Amino acid sequence: MTPGALLRLTVLGVGVLACQPSGAPPSSDSSLVAGAKIGTPPPAVADGEWSLPARDYANSRFSNLAEITPANVKNLHVAWTFSTGVLRGHEGQPLVVGNTMYLVTPYPNVAYALDLTQPGFPLKWKYRPENAQAAVGEACCDVVNRGASYADGKIVYNLLDGHTVAVDAATGTELWRVKMGDLNRGETITMAPLIVKTRVIVGSSGGEMGVRGWIAALDLGTGKELWRAYNVGPDSDIKAGPRFKPFYPQDKVVNSGTASWPGDSWKVGGATVWGWISYDPELNLIYHGTSNPGPWNGVQRPGDNKWSAAIIARDPDTGEMIWAFQPTPHDIWDYDAVNENILVDLPMGGAMRKVLVHFDRNGFAYTIDRATGQVLLAKPFVPMNWASGVDLNTGRPNVNVDKATAQGKNVKDICPSLEGGKNQQPAAFSPKTGLFYVPTNNLCMDFEGREVTYIAGTPYIGGNAPETGGPGGYKGEFIAWDAAHGRKIWGIKEPFPVWSGALATAGNVVFYGTLDGWLKAVDARSGAVLWQFKVGSGIVGAPMTYTGPDGKQYIAVYSGIGGDMGLLIAGDVAANLPYDVRERGTTLPDLARYTSWGGMLFVFAL
Amino acid sequence: MSLSTTLYAPLALVALSAVAIYRAQTPQTTRQMPPVQQTPSQPGNQPTYFVEHPDHIQPGLSFQGRWAELTNPYEGNAQRIAEGAQLFISYNCLDCHGADGSGAMGPSLQDNRWHFGGTPGDVFQSIYEGRPDGMPAWGGRIADDQIWRLVAYVRTLSNGHAVATENFTGKTIARTGH
Repeated sequence: MTPGALLRLTVLGVGVLACQPSGAPPSSDSSLVAGAKIGTPPPAVADGEWSLPARDYANSRFSNLAEITPANVKNLHVAWTFSTGVLRGHEGQPLVVGNTMYLVTPYPNVAYALDLTQPGFPLKWKYRPENAQAAVGEACCDVVNRGASYADGKIVYNLLDGHTVAVDAATGTELWRVKMGDLNRGETITMAPLIVKTRVIVGSSGGEMGVRGWIAALDLGTGKELWRAYNVGPDSDIKAGPRFKPFYPQDKVVNSGTASWPGDSWKVGGATVWGWISYDPELNLIYHGTSNPGPWNGVQRPGDNKWSAAIIARDPDTGEMIWAFQPTPHDIWDYDAVNENILVDLPMGGAMRKVLVHFDRNGFAYTIDRATGQVLLAKPFVPMNWASGVDLNTGRPNVNVDKATAQGKNVKDICPSLEGGKNQQPAAFSPKTGLFYVPTNNLCMDFEGREVTYIAGTPYIGGNAPETGGPGGYKGEFIAWDAAHGRKIWGIKEPFPVWSGALATAGNVVFYGTLDGWLKAVDARSGAVLWQFKVGSGIVGAPMTYTGPDGKQYIAVYSGIGGDMGLLIAGDVAANLPYDVRERGTTLPDLARYTSWGGMLFVFAL
Repeated sequence: MSLSTTLYAPLALVALSAVAIYRAQTPQTTRQMPPVQQTPSQPGNQPTYFVEHPDHIQPGLSFQGRWAELTNPYEGNAQRIAEGAQLFISYNCLDCHGADGSGAMGPSLQDNRWHFGGTPGDVFQSIYEGRPDGMPAWGGRIADDQIWRLVAYVRTLSNGHAVATENFTGKTIARTGH
C-alpha cells in the first residue's frame, strides 16, 4: 500500500484496517512457542508501574496489564496529552512509579514529573540540567535521549554532553551529576542507564567520531565511578581476565582488542555502548552491544576489530568481560551490534535453553545461549544480501564478497543499509504468545569508502552511503518472530521504516508507532491491525503502559520525529531553529508530507 | 571582549595535538586580522544615553560587523573553489554537513538559510570562531587562506536554491549520503 493510498483511506474514515498482515494467522489459543517465557524475575514494582527503560531486566517490554484486549481496543481514545517543549527526536519511553509519570526530553534533556492523581496532571517538578550546547553538533544522529531508570527514590539518566545525573524522584533536586564523557573528543551519551542492584550502568555514544567506546558502573547513592571497561584496547582495559571465556576458539586471543587492529588504530576504534542494557540476576551478568568500528572505511583498519559490532556479557560488580561475540567481525557496513538483547527461556531442539535474542543491524536474528555466548540460531529477519548465512561452527557470517565495501569503490545495492534491519527501536516479547514483536527497516544502500583523517571532535567516518528502499516496495515492516525456530510468523508492511519501539501486553494487544505518526494496536496472535490513531509527529519512541490512579490501563507514547532515520529531518536546521521538516531525501521521499516536528506525550485509554 | 580574546578563547572542539596530523596541504599564510572598530570610551559610571548609534545598534547578531566587511580574495575563483571542495572533505566538514553540504549532523549549507549570516565575512567568522551548537573553531588551526577557499566553496552550495515554498507533489529532493 502506498502512503497516498493510506492517507486517502484514512481521510475517508476507513483506514483502521488499512494494513493487513501477510502470512496465515494462527488459530490456537496457547502459546505459539510452547514453554517460552521471560528469562528474568518480574520487576520489583507493581504490574501497573514501569520503572526501568524496557520495564524489566530481560528487556521484554511486556506488561501484565490486560484491560485492553483485541475485543475492546477499538474504543481506545486520547485521554490526555503533554507538550515536552522540545522539538527533536523523542526516542525512549516515559516511566510511571506510584502515581507519578517521569519524562526525559531530547537535548536539553529536561526531566518532568507529572502528578497523575490531579486533574490536568500538573507538574510535581521540572529539572533542567546544565548541558553544554555544543553537544548538539557532536551527536551523530540527532540529539535523542532513550530515557531514565528509577530505583531507590531516584531518577537517573544521561545528558547529551556526557554527564550522568540522579535527581530525587519526589522533589526533582539534583542528587549528583558526574562527567562521564569528553565532549571535545566527540563523546556524547544518549542511552538509557540501567540500574542493577546499587549500580548505574552507563555507556558512551560517538562511534562516528572516532571515540573509544566504554561502559561504566556508578554507585547509585553517590555517583562514584566503580568501574569502567573499554570495548577496544588491551585486555586490562577491556577487562578480559581469567574469567573471559568466549565460546568460539578463534576469539580466545590474548589482547584481542588490540591484536585485531593495525597499530594504534584501536584508540579511535569506536565500539560505543549507546543501546539498551539487560541483566540476568541469576547468572549475575549484564549484556550490552557495541557500535560500529571507526572509521567506516575498513581499509584503514584491517582485522576483526574486536570488540566493535559485538555482544558482550560482563559481571556488573566488576565489569569483567565474561564472554563476547561479534555478529559482524571487521564491520565495513556500519552494522553496529548495539540493539537490545532480550533474555528469555526458549525450547531449543527439545530442551529449554536460557537464551538472549538479538535482532542485529546486520539483518540476522540471533538466538544465543546467554551463559556461554554460543549462537544457537541465526536467521535473516529482513531482506539481505551482504551475507548468505551464519556458520554456527564459528558464529561468523558467510560474507558475499560482491557486497564487501572498499575505499574508492562504489559498491551498489547492499542490503540491509547502514540503518540496519533494525536499529535502536526496541522489540518486545510476549510470554503469552512466545513471540517477539520487531520493528524493522527494509532499506538498501550504495557504499563508497573514502580515506579519512582523525581530527578530534569531528566525524571519523570515511564513507558515503546513500540509501534506497529495499525489495518489495515497502521500507519498514512490523513483524512477529519465533526465535526458537528462526521464522517470521506475520508482518505488517509499512511505507516507512518502523523506527518506534514495540509494547506487548497480557491483553494480547501489541502496540507500535510509525515514522509518519500512526500509533497502531495489533492482535498479538494474528497481526491484524485493530486500531490506529494519527498523532502530530512521527513516532520514534517506544509505547509503554501503566495503571492510573483510577485503576484504568493507559497507553503512553512520545510523538516527535527524529533520531537517525529522522536525522535529515531534524538536522536540516539547528535545534533552536525548528523552521520546517525535511524528508530524508532520496531515502524517504514524501515523509515530510505526512509529519512535522513535534514533542508531545500522547496518553490513551478505553 | 577584545578581538584577541575572541580569537584565542578556548572555543575549539578540536584539540591542538590531534589537529597536528592534517594531510591536506596548502601553504600557510599570515592571518588576515579583521579591522578593529574603535568605540568611544565612556566614564564607567555614565550611561551612553546621548550617543547616537544609528548604524551599529540593531537587534540580533551584528551581521554588518567587522567580520562582514571582509572580502574573500577567492570569491568566484573556480580553482580555489575546487580546492575548497577538497578541503571540505579533508577537514571532515562533509561528514557533519553532509555530502555537498546537504545537511546531516550539522545544518544544511544548500538551503540558503544562514543562521549566522551568509556574506563571505560571516561564513569566514563561522569557520574561524566556531558556533554554539558545536561548529568547531578552526581559526589558528588551519591557514586563513584555506578558510577562504572553504568560504568560496560553501557559498556556491546554495546558489540559486529557493526553499521558501516546498511543493511535495511528485517531488523528491536530490540528496545523497549520510
